[in-house]
Amino acid sequence: MRSIDLAFAGVSIGAIAALSGIGLLVTYRTNGVLNIAQGGIAALVAYVFRAMVVDWQLPLPVAALLSLAVVSPLIGIVLERFVFRPLARRRASAAESLVASLGVLVLTVGMTAGIWGLGSRNDAPSLFPERTVGLPGGSRIGVDALAELALVVAVCVTLGLITTRTRFGRQVRAVVDDRRLAELSAIPADRVAAAGWAVGTILAGFTGILLAPRLQLTPYGLTLLVLETFAVVVAARLASLPGAVLTALAIGILQSELSQFQVTGEFSALYLAVQSNLFVAALLVLLLVLPRLRELGGDAGSTGRFSSRGAPQTYRASLTEQRRDVLGKLAGAVLLAAPLTFAPINLRDAFIVPALALIFLSLVIVTGYSGQISLGVAGYAGLGALLSAKLADGDLFGLPALPALAAPLVGALLVAPVGLLTGYPAIRRRGLALALTTFAVGAVMSRFVFQQQTFVSGLHVAPLSVAGHTLSDRWFYVVELLCLGLGLLVVRNLHEGRLGRALLAVRDHPEGAAAVGVDVRNLKLLSFTVSAAVAGLGGALLMLSYASFDADAFSPLNSLLWFTAVVVFGADSAAGAVVAAGFIVTIDTLAPAGSATLAVGILALSLGWLPGGLASAVRHLVTRLGHRIVEDLTEPGRAGLAGTGAGAARAAAATSVSPAAYRQPAGDGGSPVLTPFGEALLARVRQVLHTSGRTQ
Amino acid sequence: MSRAELTGRGLARRYGGLTAVDNVDITVAPGKVTGLIGPNGAGKSTLFSLLTGVEKPDSGKVFLGGRNITRMHPDVRARHGLVQTFQVPSLFTSMTVMDNLLVGAENRRRDYIGGLLGRTPHGSTRTRRVMTRTLESLNLTGIADTTTGTLPTGALRLVELARALCTRPDVLLLDEPASGLDGQETERLSGLLRRVAGEGVGILLVDHDVELVFSVTDQVYAMVGGRIVAEGTPAAVREDPTVRAVYLAQGPLA
Repeated sequence: MRSIDLAFAGVSIGAIAALSGIGLLVTYRTNGVLNIAQGGIAALVAYVFRAMVVDWQLPLPVAALLSLAVVSPLIGIVLERFVFRPLARRRASAAESLVASLGVLVLTVGMTAGIWGLGSRNDAPSLFPERTVGLPGGSRIGVDALAELALVVAVCVTLGLITTRTRFGRQVRAVVDDRRLAELSAIPADRVAAAGWAVGTILAGFTGILLAPRLQLTPYGLTLLVLETFAVVVAARLASLPGAVLTALAIGILQSELSQFQVTGEFSALYLAVQSNLFVAALLVLLLVLPRLRELGGDAGSTGRFSSRGAPQTYRASLTEQRRDVLGKLAGAVLLAAPLTFAPINLRDAFIVPALALIFLSLVIVTGYSGQISLGVAGYAGLGALLSAKLADGDLFGLPALPALAAPLVGALLVAPVGLLTGYPAIRRRGLALALTTFAVGAVMSRFVFQQQTFVSGLHVAPLSVAGHTLSDRWFYVVELLCLGLGLLVVRNLHEGRLGRALLAVRDHPEGAAAVGVDVRNLKLLSFTVSAAVAGLGGALLMLSYASFDADAFSPLNSLLWFTAVVVFGADSAAGAVVAAGFIVTIDTLAPAGSATLAVGILALSLGWLPGGLASAVRHLVTRLGHRIVEDLTEPGRAGLAGTGAGAARAAAATSVSPAAYRQPAGDGGSPVLTPFGEALLARVRQVLHTSGRTQ
Repeated sequence: MSRAELTGRGLARRYGGLTAVDNVDITVAPGKVTGLIGPNGAGKSTLFSLLTGVEKPDSGKVFLGGRNITRMHPDVRARHGLVQTFQVPSLFTSMTVMDNLLVGAENRRRDYIGGLLGRTPHGSTRTRRVMTRTLESLNLTGIADTTTGTLPTGALRLVELARALCTRPDVLLLDEPASGLDGQETERLSGLLRRVAGEGVGILLVDHDVELVFSVTDQVYAMVGGRIVAEGTPAAVREDPTVRAVYLAQGPLA
């Protein structure tokens, strides 16, 4: 084919990417939310459209009208009303909006997978006829490409006219400038925001429907493809509409043009990979080279709100607290060891728990403790899996085959330098820029390593063995638990003592930490490095659990799901990470595919009411219950008990900073006086204890 | 015990067309309290940022004890003994007062590998002594175990100062340490500054409270429009015609 024909072929994909980019920009400019869920929404609409045409036999125009003019905008309006408006109302941080849109992404992917299954389909109908028309000069161009191009132009012109010529456009610009201020001048900011969401989701719907017939349609695949078009808005610096459109067309055409060259020799595989994954490559390169993506800054880098606890107590912890802590850990250990008594088939399902828990722990390190958003953890996990398999095979850099038991550990250690390298961009980035960069790193690893035959063909995953004897399932699970123990030990060391305090300092206030000599940059690198190694170990175990290397297990989309799960269960809680792994595996084992994803999505959207994640919600519940009981049992206003006493001291300190206010009233209220109900209860308890003592 | 001297030579910083700091020389001598005053927009904060390393100068150099630190990041400067506090207190809000101080006390040297392997020194007796003494001198002992997220601004300012002192600095840069403090606390603060300076630490004090600056400092720089217009003893600067003119426009100078 000639260059000109290739260019026409590339226009089509470029125009679709442009539509996706315009949708993202409109939502971002009207709401200040970078809609990560765009991919999930696109896939959902594409599946709805396919179901209408294929399953329900609706005529194509009717199905198109229903899915693009009814379903798509409805999704946007519902999201605005019930998810993002409440967040905007209480001026939630950009980090919260990010997690909310991750929640929507996870939810929509879970819905699509839950309704239509994870299997691939190739009967997605195409919106425009698959014909070509002749152009002067003898070239031919597809009708779809022409229609898509016309659509892009029409959308751009309409949006341009609306924003510059109409009253509504002025209102939009006012809301974009400052939502509060706009509301004070009687501008219906909510309506502007809802319109922005509706336009965004309509364009997402277009993207999904237009992309679907071009590939083997799967919920994950389509979602990921749309996520990769984020390159377009990054190039446009989240501001310029023409910038996004031109970048999209340029990448589309370039991708098509590159296919006419044949590269032979050792770089042929790389060339092919770049050619077929130009959007991912562009996303990473743009994020790395564009100086000062200030538009992507903001406070999305601070994850303080997901983290409920501060430093572990340095000095005294009361005996009861210690005892409760030990009991909790013991209960957890017993639960984790319980699968050892399971039937073999169930034990195999349980294999995934420690592996996933390790991957989640790596997120606790990087996000919970040092406050960096990392959306690329699946990349490190997959790399750990790949390296450990190659090490065990003796297939890596001519190294001798390692004993199978050592391979996962060495593989994990080899991932550490990759974490160091990829953590480097994180030093100077925060917020959305960091989130997108880490996502791009994971996506590049997936596309350029895990999916390349050069690296994964003929990979042999042998079960673990000791001195020639293959480990039984039970022993393999024990090895997994030992690895998890190692991970927990690392996490503990990172959380306690000097290092833990320094990391928390960086999370709480990076500038303040630097001001007293905390080495902020190296600590960030350290957390990325250690986190990568822990994720690598988890990935290696995950591969051993599946008994094969599956690129889909380490899909970049899983990074997003896993990150959301960790935040939901409390980003700074190691126990939360283990519980999250157990939760996901249990649901996935007991319920149809996609249920765990769905559950995590729902929980993520409920985070607005549970700041600090489930873990802290449970902790708060227990504390509040305790206080309620104490209050019920004692006369109000007389006792100097824990809750009320501390509250009073705080209230006093807030009004005055005189030294006296610093001293908490310790037991000056005398002993608590019991209410009649308390007396009765106590009497009853004594009686029960007395009788049970006598029967023994 | 004489410690390092902080000097800025020919410092300049421009933002677009505006020259915020214009060829400024400044010296913070060890064992002395040096003040920096000036009306709003005079360039005090920018000069302060150039000295702490939060911003880099367009031209000019910063020396600490004769060593050129112009290109060093703030945290490296802090490990060399140049420690600052902020206008808005920069505490680690999820930690207790004691832990905040510990972070200050511990990070002049680094030992990450040891930390990863589980070596967690709970602070030498000397560290402990420094912290206890600092808490006492600022009357913060009562809130040592309180989480800083719950404290009022005045207390936060004192805790931040305590944290800076726990690093055992050579030079202390304080950005409006007295704002938000009541009269009694301000008095205690100036007493503390004198005592710290008496131990050989050089202190640079930027504050709107001109009375505090004149009463506690040994040397004062007055800044207007990005330049130093007067320098010398508080008495001399107070009598300087330019300074009087600037401050008379804003009200009487006590």
